[in-house]
Amino acid sequence: MRAVRVMQTLFKRDFLYSLYSFGYYVALFASFIVSSFILKNFLDSIGEEDILVSAYPLNYPLYITLIIISLYLVIISGVSISREREQGTLEVLFYGPVTPGSFLWGKYLKDLCLGMVALGFTAVYFYFVSLLTNLGFTLGLVKALIMSIFLLSCVVSFGLFVSSFTGRIRSSVLALVAILGAFLAIQLGYNALLGFEKESLSVPMLYVRQTMSYVFRGISWVSPFAYLNRGLDSVVLESPLLYVANIGYAVVYSLVFMFLSVYVMGKKGVKA
Amino acid sequence: MIQTVNLTKEFNGFKAVDNLNLQVEKGDIYGFLGPNGAGKTTTIMMILGLIPPTSGKIFLLGEELRPNNVAIKRRVGVVSENQYLYKEMTAEEYLTFFGELYEVPNVQKRIEELLEAVGLWGDRNKKLGAYSKGMQQKLAFARALLHDPELLILDEPVANLDPTSIKQIRDLIEEENRKGRTVFVSSHILSEVERLCKKVAIINRGRLLAEDTMDNIKRRLTDTVRLEIELSQNAESLSSELSTLPFVKGSTVDGNKLEVHLQTDRDYRLDLSRFLYEKGFLVLAMKTKEMSLEEAFITITQQNISLLAREEGKA
Repeated sequence: MRAVRVMQTLFKRDFLYSLYSFGYYVALFASFIVSSFILKNFLDSIGEEDILVSAYPLNYPLYITLIIISLYLVIISGVSISREREQGTLEVLFYGPVTPGSFLWGKYLKDLCLGMVALGFTAVYFYFVSLLTNLGFTLGLVKALIMSIFLLSCVVSFGLFVSSFTGRIRSSVLALVAILGAFLAIQLGYNALLGFEKESLSVPMLYVRQTMSYVFRGISWVSPFAYLNRGLDSVVLESPLLYVANIGYAVVYSLVFMFLSVYVMGKKGVKA
Repeated sequence: MIQTVNLTKEFNGFKAVDNLNLQVEKGDIYGFLGPNGAGKTTTIMMILGLIPPTSGKIFLLGEELRPNNVAIKRRVGVVSENQYLYKEMTAEEYLTFFGELYEVPNVQKRIEELLEAVGLWGDRNKKLGAYSKGMQQKLAFARALLHDPELLILDEPVANLDPTSIKQIRDLIEEENRKGRTVFVSSHILSEVERLCKKVAIINRGRLLAEDTMDNIKRRLTDTVRLEIELSQNAESLSSELSTLPFVKGSTVDGNKLEVHLQTDRDYRLDLSRFLYEKGFLVLAMKTKEMSLEEAFITITQQNISLLAREEGKA
């Protein structure tokens, strides 16, 4: 019970400070600007062709909004431990009743709640968009918004994991950029190789493509952004089983990365 | 309150702390001395459970220290050399945050008491980024005392402070000790430790060189009694005559001032006075010159360095 109270105290302080931070609203504003731009193009094409081609017209703008919110969350969670390590404040917290578990779960809750508040703003924004454009605020959109909570959980736990083994803000940012960049490069490389006919590839290139397919499959279980794609796809596919399964995968992913983070933080200690 | 048993910490084969055995009793103000890099902070980090020892055991408040034992940590207050504050907070917000972490009852009243005690009540709404080094140190004391701990661990509490702040911190430590709190002070400022501490441990290169009361340490290191004597007239002629006395091990003369080193097997002051009187000198003042902690520290560490050099030479 005491650990829960410690976690609540850490959560309350961090959440209020983050909620008053400028960067949070910049990220939200940027996501709304980008999705507004996409919506405008979408509406223009409907106007030109006089046809609505999607049953979920707001889901793609939501996906883009989610990507931007996720990028913001992965960075702030990715530097949250290393910042306190670098400033030395982590050491002072650990003189007392704070443990790696209570500290990390407090940070996780804070970042997830920030994500949920952002989703709340997003829901309000899309509601007004649906009123203005007659694009339906469908059940599919509601399901996508609910799924998004779990997907943001993956993003936050991944960011905290990266932060757990880095000692300084700069190294956290570099680690995040390197890891996410590597995920993206592998995905792009694999997609590029898939574009070639099997017969046109030499034997070594075929081995490379096969190896990359294994790596890609592995990454699709490690990268939080892969969960984002799969989760939102499950909404469009309208399969309840797939939807629940994706929520389950996201929960397992979050738990695994949180436990790993607690372990790594315990090993790495409080010093930068 | 604190006991370490064969405590050892190695970093890549280098022994930062080497079989350290400390014993801090309840009610002590215990000085933990050593030159920079002696292993003091590493020892404190292990005592606080922030880094694991390579081998050995730590008993804190009667219990063996285990990782993440927060029940014990709640009974300890810590002030480190660097204060690492949340610079965007005010003093009141900072202490309220820690009060909630430690579940301090009537936290606002306690904060008011402590900020008054450390002289920061008037600055309670100032951002901590604008606090001076001395103010930060005082706030750290307030934070360490907030939850009424049984044991205070202070790592270089007066380093980099001005004389007024040093006195305020010293008074605060003494006051808390009078209230029954045990205080463990690590420092390389020997004059401060000498004023504060009843018992000291001296470490160098991770090894414990001495652990005893201040008086016993000085006594152990002193093989002569040093007397400073003021005489009625110039005593330059006395130097050679003093060396003929069997109980005198050495002397220096400067005008009418005399410093004599006597054997310690008994009190020779009367014999010396009589000798001086017979030689036609009247003693205007006589006082025993005590060894300072600084001298004791230098003697002990130099002995240790010579010993280590001999050991390394043999190896």
